[in-house]
Amino acid sequence: MESLTMEMVLVMSMIGLAIFLFIVEWVRVDVVAIIMMVTLPLLHLVSPKEAFIGLSSNAVVSIIAVIIIGAGLDRTGIINKLVAPVLRIAGNSASRIIVAISVTVAIISSFMQNIGAAALFLPAIQRIGEKQKIPLSRLLMPIGFSAILGGTVTLVGSSPLILLNDLLAPFGLEPFGLFDVTPIGLALVASGIGCFILLGKFILPGGDVNPEGEDNAEDDVGGKEKSALEEDEYYELSTPDDFTHYRDPLFVEDLRRRYLVTVLAITEPPDFKVVSPPPDMEVRSGIDLVVCGRKKDVVRMVENEGMILKDRLEKYSDTINPVKSGRVEAVVAPRSWLVGKTLKDVNLEGRFNVTPVSLYRHEESYRARLDDITLQVGDVITIHGAWKNLKNLQKEGGLLFGLPSDVDYMRPGKAAWAGAWLVVALVMIMGFKIQLSVSLMTGALGMILTGVLTIDEAYQSVDWRTIFLLGGLIPLGIATEKTGTAAWIAHTVLGLMGDVSPIVLLTVIGVLSTLFTLVISNVGATVLLVPLVVNMAMAAHTDPRMAALVVGLATSNSFMLPTHQVNALYMGPGHYRTIDFIKAGALISIVFIVVMIAMIRLVYGV
Amino acid sequence: MAIITISRGSFSMGRLVAEKVAERLGYDIISREILLEASRHFNIPEIKLEKAIHDAPGILERYRHTKQAYIAYIRSALVERVVNDNVVYHGLAGHLLLKGIGHVLKVRINADFEKRVAYVMNRDGLSEDEARARLVEDDNQRRKWTYELYGHDPWDSAMYDLTIRIDRLSIEEAVGFICKAAQSSGFTASERSKQNLKDLALACHVKAELVADFPNIGVTCEYGNVIVYCKAGDRGGAKLGRRLDELKRKLAGIYSVEMHSGVPAPPDAV
Repeated sequence: MESLTMEMVLVMSMIGLAIFLFIVEWVRVDVVAIIMMVTLPLLHLVSPKEAFIGLSSNAVVSIIAVIIIGAGLDRTGIINKLVAPVLRIAGNSASRIIVAISVTVAIISSFMQNIGAAALFLPAIQRIGEKQKIPLSRLLMPIGFSAILGGTVTLVGSSPLILLNDLLAPFGLEPFGLFDVTPIGLALVASGIGCFILLGKFILPGGDVNPEGEDNAEDDVGGKEKSALEEDEYYELSTPDDFTHYRDPLFVEDLRRRYLVTVLAITEPPDFKVVSPPPDMEVRSGIDLVVCGRKKDVVRMVENEGMILKDRLEKYSDTINPVKSGRVEAVVAPRSWLVGKTLKDVNLEGRFNVTPVSLYRHEESYRARLDDITLQVGDVITIHGAWKNLKNLQKEGGLLFGLPSDVDYMRPGKAAWAGAWLVVALVMIMGFKIQLSVSLMTGALGMILTGVLTIDEAYQSVDWRTIFLLGGLIPLGIATEKTGTAAWIAHTVLGLMGDVSPIVLLTVIGVLSTLFTLVISNVGATVLLVPLVVNMAMAAHTDPRMAALVVGLATSNSFMLPTHQVNALYMGPGHYRTIDFIKAGALISIVFIVVMIAMIRLVYGV
Repeated sequence: MAIITISRGSFSMGRLVAEKVAERLGYDIISREILLEASRHFNIPEIKLEKAIHDAPGILERYRHTKQAYIAYIRSALVERVVNDNVVYHGLAGHLLLKGIGHVLKVRINADFEKRVAYVMNRDGLSEDEARARLVEDDNQRRKWTYELYGHDPWDSAMYDLTIRIDRLSIEEAVGFICKAAQSSGFTASERSKQNLKDLALACHVKAELVADFPNIGVTCEYGNVIVYCKAGDRGGAKLGRRLDELKRKLAGIYSVEMHSGVPAPPDAV
């Protein structure tokens, strides 16, 4: 075995630094990758050309193309078209609905980014939940897990698998085909869904997935905080004629801060109705107003401020009417323009004439001082507004929610083109064996040329974080291999382990990859582990391609913590706690490793 | 009906002015007993609180946040005492500890430095140099203290409603000015400022209960709706949540409690 060199020590220090930064999150993961990209050539561990070769790699180009294709599918509303027939087949049974949507999500997710598929389906799932009276906590986790598992069905389903062939190239190993992983991926999806159907009542919060479809929404809450949507009611109030005498001016915002009550509409004297009033509007004497809030809060306000509570909506019965307006639970989407902004910056009242009522994040419900809260992906904002205004908000993008009337504002006419270009890309890959990146980019270009989406929309849809994460970590993989660090670590580890059978080795690699992916990103785990495990497998006379495949698959085994993007997105709307993910995720993770190893043995005869 | 805080340099006749103001207006006067109350309530030796309110935080204390904790205790005790109005408080940082309350008259009493030196020499039998050094050291400590904890210079007159220099103006004249100001309409307690004070008392109480375990939190309160601001991903998040539930049951006047993690505490937070 080669002795430890200075270069190896440096590479290991850089790996240590990367892992450390991934865990402590002092800087974002993509910035960590860029740090690697810049530092490695400065330390002469890779050449300047190698440092940036990741950006032009097949993996990165493929990911760009996959993202554009996903955006194209999204814009045509093809997903909504898929959901309707799927639901018809599923009928009213909760478990059949879960199976049907999970399978659909998994299929979609196998051709686009997992988080993209998860975000795309969220509004549809919300609608279904409401319509069929199934609590979201029962639907979202199985479907979210299926979106992640769906990423293992094809070689373009998740970033680690896209990356795999590039990482195998330096070893001169045969690349994997698009559907080489499909049998394993399908088995993983089936086992995941199976777990939820069979053991749902033990692992899902809120209990059983009722096989008979006799679900009752009310029994789910189970001691958890009710959402604003369930708890809040509308009340019409009026102020007496001497309301503003002998008191400091009272503003709309004051009522929220003092009594946790949201003013939805208010009269500006003499009788001008202002819907979604601005926070600085004054509450005057002898006017009517409609508020949304919990009864006890409204009663407290009425008593303290000397207002008059009406029995029912009177003057505003026409404005605050379920036909014309209502509330939605809008989820802040991944890469939304709202992320990092406060509700004050966003000014939903002024721009869209809708009113935020409450915000839900990480098991906490917020009502007071909503305006100061900086929005994050997965935050659930309960918003009230006229349906047409909410639709305008939906069009703006960035918030995921369903509306009662499914009007397609998108480009349904282009659905056929979008579907056709996806097929063209697939035929090029499978029929003509053209390289993944070229085929997928052809599909993406086709969508742009046929007007499914514009080139600017295509550029905007690309998530530069993912691109730089991949591009920046690839040189770290190169350095690990080039300096012999991977081989050295592999031999040292194997020396410690002694002789092991291929199955044991692959299982150990699977467990290791799972642990890595929980603390550092799946791409990071893949880049660091693949050179290592290929060397280990070669030394242990096991098929190195299988070892790499285990890493590529097991880095999708990220269910135990809400750190995976999909889990983070669904945590808020599903009102999940971290413990819910640990409970269900632990089981799915174990099943994942068992099924994966069994399938690799079955399919590839390891 | 007002609250008067009198901030003073050492040996600036501030105590005397405060006592005479309280006597003329028939107000209660409080100063050191606040420390006693806080030490009784939170089981902290009075000497530690005394030191906390006098010396600027050292490097270790800045890390351990003990000073912030002690200040939170003192503040809670002070706000609790002034909540019923008609109070003169003379002591360090009253104007900062009662920040944001409309009917607090913030007074600063300064005295001519040479006269202060002469007073110290006379009272403690020190040489001129010793007396001078002692006063400079004292002033520096107070300046540093206010600066470290609140980012203000206590000598900045913009922080007070009234700054009086006892030199050509006599103590009696200063007392007259202060009493007149306190009775002016600007310092009459309105319903809103009374409510603000009640809310401040509750926020200070919540902060004092939590500060030992969670030194970096900020607390606001408005009409009994308490918001606790803490860092995002705080490991103690669950523990803080439990403590808040306990406090909600224990403290009268809390209507609702929200924990805003990852949201920067607003300037009015204690």
